[in-house]
Amino acid sequence: MLTLAALALGMAVATAALSVSLDVGDRLALEFRSLGANLLVTPEADSLPLEIGGVDYRPANAGAYLPEADLGKLKTIFWRFNIKAFAPILEVQVKAAPYDMDYVSDTPPGPAYTVIGTWVNHEVKIPDGTTYVTGIEKTNPWWQLKEGRWFTEGKNECVVGKNVAMKKLLGVPPGSPPELRSRNDLKPGDEIFTFKMNGHMGPRLHVVGVLDTGGPEDNAIVVPLDVAQTLADKPGQYRRLYVSALTKPEDAFGRRDPKSMTPAEFDRWYCSPYISAIALQISQELKGTEVRVIRRVAEGEGTILTRVRTLLWLVTFAALLAAALAVGASAAASVIERRTEIGLMKALGAGSGLVGVLLAAEQLLVAFVGGGIGYAVGILLARLLGEKIFGFTPEPKLFLLFIVLVLASLITLLGSAYPLRRASRYDPAPILRGE
Amino acid sequence: MRNFSMFWRIVRRLITANYGRLFVILLALGAGAAITAALLNLQIDAKRRLTTEFRALGANVIVAPRDANANSSGGTLEQGLLAGLPTENAGKPVPAVAFLYVIGEVAKAGEIRHQAAVIAGTEGQGLTQVRPGRRTEYFAEVERDAAACEIGAKAAAQFKVHAGDLLHLRNQGREATCKVFAVVATGGAEDTQIFTKLGVAQMLADLPGRISLVQLSVTGTPDSIARFIAALAQRMPGADVHGIKQLAEAEGKLYNRISGLLSTTVIIVLLLTSLCVMAGMSNVAIERKNDVGLMKAIGGSVRRVVRLFLAEAILMGIVGGVIGSAIGIVGSIWLGKSVFGVAAQPRWIVYPVSVGITIIVSVASAFPLRRLASVRPASVFRGEA
Repeated sequence: MLTLAALALGMAVATAALSVSLDVGDRLALEFRSLGANLLVTPEADSLPLEIGGVDYRPANAGAYLPEADLGKLKTIFWRFNIKAFAPILEVQVKAAPYDMDYVSDTPPGPAYTVIGTWVNHEVKIPDGTTYVTGIEKTNPWWQLKEGRWFTEGKNECVVGKNVAMKKLLGVPPGSPPELRSRNDLKPGDEIFTFKMNGHMGPRLHVVGVLDTGGPEDNAIVVPLDVAQTLADKPGQYRRLYVSALTKPEDAFGRRDPKSMTPAEFDRWYCSPYISAIALQISQELKGTEVRVIRRVAEGEGTILTRVRTLLWLVTFAALLAAALAVGASAAASVIERRTEIGLMKALGAGSGLVGVLLAAEQLLVAFVGGGIGYAVGILLARLLGEKIFGFTPEPKLFLLFIVLVLASLITLLGSAYPLRRASRYDPAPILRGE
Repeated sequence: MRNFSMFWRIVRRLITANYGRLFVILLALGAGAAITAALLNLQIDAKRRLTTEFRALGANVIVAPRDANANSSGGTLEQGLLAGLPTENAGKPVPAVAFLYVIGEVAKAGEIRHQAAVIAGTEGQGLTQVRPGRRTEYFAEVERDAAACEIGAKAAAQFKVHAGDLLHLRNQGREATCKVFAVVATGGAEDTQIFTKLGVAQMLADLPGRISLVQLSVTGTPDSIARFIAALAQRMPGADVHGIKQLAEAEGKLYNRISGLLSTTVIIVLLLTSLCVMAGMSNVAIERKNDVGLMKAIGGSVRRVVRLFLAEAILMGIVGGVIGSAIGIVGSIWLGKSVFGVAAQPRWIVYPVSVGITIIVSVASAFPLRRLASVRPASVFRGEA
C-alpha cells in the first residue's frame, strides 16, 4: 500500500511539473509582450530620422512614408498567429492652443507640439475577408490613461500627454499671472485648436483623455491616425509601425545568417518563429519596408525566457529524481519485507527466476496503478498551479500518461532490482526459521 | 538516568542492525535533503539573478532636465552631475552614461555631400549596458583611439561607412573628424545616431560642460529600483529623475510572475518530495513490528518504545540531512552555473533550514509507529499480522 502511495505521489509531482513546464514557456512568452513591440517597420528608402528622445525633428516633407492600406497583409504571413498586435505611427508637428485664434499671419506663435497619430481598438481588414482588432494600447501596454477614455476613430478626438495637460499649457501668453497657468489644465471635455505648420487651420480636437506613458509621449497629443494624416497632408500614410510578435528565443541556429543556409536549413529556419524569420516574412509582405528587430526587447526576452525554462526543467528533473529515489527506496523495502513469502515459495519448489518474475510482475502492477493515480492527481495539481500563477489551465496531455507509466515502471523495477536479485538467491531454510 | 546508556545502546543497535535498511533510509532522506537544499538555494539565487537578467533590457532610469522635452530647443544639465551619481544599488554596479545630443551634418571623410544626423556625445561607464544592441562590426584596437566613434546600423548604411572608416562631422562651422570603431544595431532610434566622445559633441553644439541626459541601468527588485529613483530625485532637485515606465511595469509584472512560479513550484516539489520520502520511510518503519513486539514483551512501556524510535528517527534525520544538504548545496552551485552561466552563491541559511526539514520529515515518517503502540506482542510472535 505504502509503495503505491509513494509511487502515486511521486508520479503526481512528475505529471504536474512536466505539464507546467511544457506549457509555461508559451505563457511566459505571452507575458513578455508587456514589454511592448519587438519589431519596428520603417520605410526602406528613408532619409536618416533625426530622432531625439522619441521626437523626430525631420520636417514633414522629408523622408518616406508607407501606405496604411497594406497593413492587413501582416496577418497573412506564415506566422500570422504569432503577430499579437501592431500599430502604425505618424508623427507631425503642429501649433496648438486651447482657444480659437483668428490667424491671418503665416505661422502661429508659441511652441510646436508633437502630434502622434495611431490606432486604438482599430479594425483592420485582412485580405481573406476577416477583420482584426488591434492598436497601440495592445502593442504598448504601458500607455495608460490617467483620466478619461481613448479616442474613437473617425472623430476629431484626442488624448493629451500628462505634461501637455498639466503645465504651462498650450499658448498661455508669456507673462500671464501664475493663476492663469494653473487654471489652464486640460481636462477631458476641453477643446484644442490646431494649426498646421504652414499656418492653415487644422481640425478642432475634443480632449477625451489624459495619457501617462512615462516617456516622450507625455509631451505629445495622441490622435487617431486619420487626423494626423490630415494634419500632415499625408492621407493614408504612416511612418513607423510597431509589431508585437510571439517568438522563439534565438538559439545558435536562429542566429545564423539565412543567406549561408542550405535550402533545407532555410526552410526549417523560415518555419520557426524566430524573430528574424518573422521580420523577413513581414518585409516580404509589406513592400518597400525595412523591418528591424528591437534588440533590447527581443534579446532581453530571449535570455530570460531561456533561463526560466531551463530552471523549470531543472526543478522538474529534481522532482523526478526525488520521486524516483523515494519510490525506489520503498520498492526495495517492500521486497525486503517479503522475505518469508519468498522463502516459502522457494521451499515449495519455485525457481529463483520464477520468484523474480513474480515479484517484478507485482511491482509492475503497482507501478501501473500508482502511475495512473499519480497522473490524475498531477493533472489536478498542474491545473491548480496554472490557475494560481497564470490564470490559465494547462491542457491535460495524454502522452504524459504514457511517459508517467513508463517512468513509474522503470523506477520501481530499478528500485527493486537489487533486492529482487538478492531475494532470488535466498536460502529458504534460515528464512523460514525466522533468522 | 540509569537507563540512559541502555537507551542509546538500543538505539545504536536499531540503527546498525540491518545495513541494507540503513542504506535505504539514508538514501531516501539524503536525496530528499539534497533536493530541498538545492532547490531552495537555487530559488533564492534565481530571484536575485533575475533582476540582473532584466538589465539586458538596458537603461531603466533617466536623469533629464526638468523641461527638456517640452520643446525642441531642450534644456541641458551640468556635466558634473555624472560624478555625483551613486555607483551601485543593492551591491550591483549601476552603469551610468551621460548623453549630449546635437543635430549636425555628417559625411564619410572625403565626400562632399553632408546629411543631417543626430550626434550623441557619450561619457561614463557601460554604454553597452544602457544601450543594448548587437555590434555587427567591431574593431577593438580602434576603440582606444582618442577620436573613436560608433555608428548606428541604419546611419552606417546611409553613409556607407564601415568600422575603420573616418567620419566628418560639422555643425554651424564647427568641425570634427572621428574614426568608426563599431557599427551597432539596436532596432531603436540609436540605429540612426553617431556616438562620439562627449567632448566632441559639446564642441559641435558649443555647449561645453553640458549634457542632455543621463541613462542608468539600475539592478534590483521593482521596489528597490523605486527607492533608488526616489532617493536620487531628492538628491537632485534640479533634475527630473524618472524610471522608464515601459520597463518598470513589464519588469515588475514579469518578476512577480516568474518568482511566483518558482516559489510555488519549489514549494510543491518540496512538499511532495517530503511526502514521497515519508511514504518510502514508513514502509521501512512498519517492518519494525517484530522489534516493537519484543520490546513490549519484555516490559517496555509504549512511551519508552516510541521514544526509542523517535531518537532513531532524529538521528537518521540529522545524518541524512547533514550529508544530503551538503550535497544539495554543492549541486546547486553547479546547477546555477548551468542555468545562469554564473555559479550560484551558496546561502548558508539554506543549510540549517533543509537539515531541519529533513529531521521533521524523518520524525514524521516514524509516525506510523504510533500504530505499533497497539501491537500485541503475542500475536506478533505467532506470526500473525
